[in-house]
Amino acid sequence: MEAEVVSSEMVLPAALPFKRVQMSDKYPKGQSRGRHWKHLKQILQAENYASLPAHEPNYLNIESPPSLYPSKKYCDVTGFEAPYTDPRTKLRYANQDVFKRIRSLPNEMPRGTWLCHRFN
Amino acid sequence: MPSYSITRPSRQEDYARFSPDTPIVIDNGGSSFRIGWAGESDPRVTFRNVVQRPRHKATGETVTIVGDHDPSLMKYFDCTRTSFRSPFDNNVVYQFEIMEYVLDYGFERLGANLQVDHPILMTECICNPLSSRSKMAELLFETYGVPSIAFGVDAVFSYKLNQQFGRCNEDGLAICSGFSASHVIPIVKGEPVTEACCRTNIGGYHVTNYLKQLLSLKYPYHMSSITWEKAEELKMEHCYVATDFASELQLFQKGNEEAKEKTRCWQLPWVPPTQGDVPSEEELARRAALKEKQGQRLRDMAAARKSIRITELENELNGLEDLLQQLDEVEEPEVSSILSGTKFFSRQEIESAILRVTQSLRKAKGEPSEPEEKNDSSLSEKYPLVSVPDELLSPEQLKEKKRQIFLKTTSEGRLLAKRKRYEEESLREKQNQLDEEKRLENPELYLEQLHDRYRELSEKVELRKRVKTNGNQNLSGGVGRGERLSAAQKERMRLLTSAAFDRGKGEDTFGARDEDWQLYKLMSKDNDDDDNGQDEDEAELARVTSRLQDIDPNFVPKSDLVPPQATSEFSKFRPQSLEDFKIVIGVERFRCPEVLFQPNMIGIDQAGLDEMAGISLRRLDRVDDPMKDDITKSILVTGGSALLPGLLPRLEVGIQQIRPYLSPLTVVRACDPILDAWRGAAIYANSPRFSLQTLSIQDYYEKGESLLRQYQIKYTI
Repeated sequence: MEAEVVSSEMVLPAALPFKRVQMSDKYPKGQSRGRHWKHLKQILQAENYASLPAHEPNYLNIESPPSLYPSKKYCDVTGFEAPYTDPRTKLRYANQDVFKRIRSLPNEMPRGTWLCHRFN
Repeated sequence: MPSYSITRPSRQEDYARFSPDTPIVIDNGGSSFRIGWAGESDPRVTFRNVVQRPRHKATGETVTIVGDHDPSLMKYFDCTRTSFRSPFDNNVVYQFEIMEYVLDYGFERLGANLQVDHPILMTECICNPLSSRSKMAELLFETYGVPSIAFGVDAVFSYKLNQQFGRCNEDGLAICSGFSASHVIPIVKGEPVTEACCRTNIGGYHVTNYLKQLLSLKYPYHMSSITWEKAEELKMEHCYVATDFASELQLFQKGNEEAKEKTRCWQLPWVPPTQGDVPSEEELARRAALKEKQGQRLRDMAAARKSIRITELENELNGLEDLLQQLDEVEEPEVSSILSGTKFFSRQEIESAILRVTQSLRKAKGEPSEPEEKNDSSLSEKYPLVSVPDELLSPEQLKEKKRQIFLKTTSEGRLLAKRKRYEEESLREKQNQLDEEKRLENPELYLEQLHDRYRELSEKVELRKRVKTNGNQNLSGGVGRGERLSAAQKERMRLLTSAAFDRGKGEDTFGARDEDWQLYKLMSKDNDDDDNGQDEDEAELARVTSRLQDIDPNFVPKSDLVPPQATSEFSKFRPQSLEDFKIVIGVERFRCPEVLFQPNMIGIDQAGLDEMAGISLRRLDRVDDPMKDDITKSILVTGGSALLPGLLPRLEVGIQQIRPYLSPLTVVRACDPILDAWRGAAIYANSPRFSLQTLSIQDYYEKGESLLRQYQIKYTI
C-alpha cells in the first residue's frame, strides 16, 4: 500500500480488535454467498403487516395518501407549465422552441433513469 | 444536508477515558453517520454513510473505504466495478454487510481498542420494520458485543432538544425532511403519537437528483460535469422554496429584471480556442527559411551521393579498361589465367560491361544518352531477324526473333510517346503565345475573361468532386445514411440488394445466360465515376490557375480559401464560447425544492409537506380541536431540507390553507436542523434513567425478537 494511502487512513483495516466476529470469518473469501439481503419491498412483504391489527402503526400504513391537489404538468426543460407531451421521448414541453430542443437532444440521454416513475 | 468536504475524521485518542457506563450515541442518518459520546455537545466523528469497495491496483486486493475520500488518492484504486453503496433502501437499513463496514469505521474512528463495552443509543426511522431492527440488534450484540442498546427516532430527539431550548411546546408537530423521506410526527404530552404520523418518500436526495437530471437535460453536452456531488453543492448554495410557486414561475416566464436578478450561473472551466489560423509575417518567413534549409540539406545529400556514385563508376571503368589492356598485351593462353581471377569469362563480356558502366556514368553525370538516335538509323541491322520469315529460322533463332520483336515494339512505342509529348508541348506553346497576344491587345478584358473561365471551371470541378465524395462537404451532420450516397452509389446499392434477394427464393437460374454476368460489371465500383471529362477540366483549371498566378498579383486560388470557411462552418455546431460553458440556474432554483410540496413532479403520488401536516392532524382522532390548535402553535421543522430558504413561510401558507380560518399557527426551524437529532439523543442518553430504556444483551438472548417487537422507548424520562 502506498505511503500516501496509509497515512490518510482511508482504508478500513481488515481485522479490528474490538469485534467478536471478524468480517473475514463472517464472509469467508472465495465463497459465493449469492444475495444475502432483501430489498425493502421484500422486507415489508415478510413483515406480513396484513395479519397485524389495522390500527397499529407500521411502516406501510403511516405512508401519506395521494395528494388532494390536482397535479400540474411542467415543462421538463424550462419548468413552465407544459400543455404538451412529446410522444417519442415522453418529455413534457411548453412551446415549439422547447420541442425543437428536445428533439435535437443526443440519443444517448439516459431516458431510462429520467422520470422513470412517471411512465412505468 | 451533508457538506461534502473531503476531510476525513481522525481517530479519537481518549476512548479509554470513558467509563463503561457512558453510552455511545449514533445518529444513523441516510446521508451522514454521526457517532459520539453521551453528554457531549457535538458528535466526535461524522462521515457520509456510504461504502465503496474498490480494488487496490498494486496488490489486487479488495479494500473497503467508508465515507468520502480524497479523490486524488483514488488513482491507486480501480473503481470501475464498484460505486458508492449505502446500507439504506429508502430510510430503512437493509444491507447489513455495508452497515457493518460503516459501524466498524465509526467505532474505529471513535477510538475503540479491545471491545465496544458501552451502551449504544442509535436512531432509526419511525415504525422501522421489525426485521431491520432485529438484524441491527443482532449485529450490535453478536458482532460487537455491546452490553445494551436503545433505538429512538431522530425527529423526536430533535424536537425534545428544541423543547428544552423553549422553541417548541410539550404538544406540537415535528416536521422532519430528511435525506430519503419526510415525516410529520405529532407530539402529545412530550411523546410521539406513532399512529398519527405520516411519511412521504421524498427528501433531500430527490431534490438533488431532480436538479441533476434537469441540468443534464438542459445541458446535454456538459452531462459529465454535472455530478451528483456538484448538484448537491448547487442545491445548498442556490435552491430556495418559493412561497407561491405559480407566481414565481410566471415571474420567470415573463423574464423581467427581477427574474434576471434571481438567476444564478455556474461557469464551467473553459479554454478559448487557440488562434492558429493567421500566422504572422515573421512566422511565415521563419517557416519558409526552415523549409528552405531542409530542402538545401536534402539537395546537398543528393549531390554527395551523386559524386560518390560517379567516382565509384569511374573507378570501375578504369579497372575494366586496365583489364582489357592487360588482355591485349598478353598471349592467348594466358588470357584464361587472367580471367579466372575476375568474374568474366570472355573478352566480349568485359567489353559489354565497359559499355554498361560508361552508360550509367553518363546518366549519373546527367549527360544525355546518345545511343537511341543511332539505333534509329540501324533499325534493320539491329533487329535483323524481324523481317525474316519463321520457316527459315532455327528454334534458337526463333526465340531471338521474338525478343527482337519485343524490343522493337517497345522502342517504337517510346519514340511515339516522345513525339506526342513534343507535339503537345508545341501546342501548348502556341496557345500560350495566342494568349499572350490577346493579353497584349487588351489586358483588362483578357484578365476578366480569364477570371470568368477560372470561376466557371472551378465550380464545375468542385461540383463534380462533391458528387463524387457524396456531398459530404457540409460537416453539419444530421444527414441520414441514404442521403449521403450519390445517384450512382444508390443504384449500386439497389443492384446489390436486389441481387441478394433474388438469390434467396425459388430456383436459382443466375448465370444461365451470359447477360447475367453483366450485373457484376454494373455493380463494380469503377462504374461510379466517369472521369473522362473531369481530367480535361482539371488540367485546364490548373493551366488557368497558373496563368492567373503569373499575371495577376492579387489572385488567390480558391483551394487556399476553402479551409477557413470550413472551420467557421464547423464551429457553429460545437459549444465554443464562454456562454456555452455557462450553466444557468433560474427556474431550477425553486423548482427542485418544490418536489417536497408536489411529489407528483417526480412521479411520487403522495402528499407534500404542507398536506402531510393536515393528514397527521386528521389522524389524531382522539385529540379535540382546541388541542389541535395547541399543536399547530408549536410546529418544529428539522432535517437537512429545513435549511432551504423559504421553506418555513411556504409551510405556513400551506398549513394555513388546511386549517380552519384564523386558527393559530407557529412554525419554527430547529436550532440546528442537521445536528439537533444527535444532540437531543446525546442529552437523552446522558440521563441517569437512560439505562431503564435499554435492552441488555441478556434480555436479547433470553427473549429475542419478541422483545424488539414491543420495544418502544419513553422520550420523557
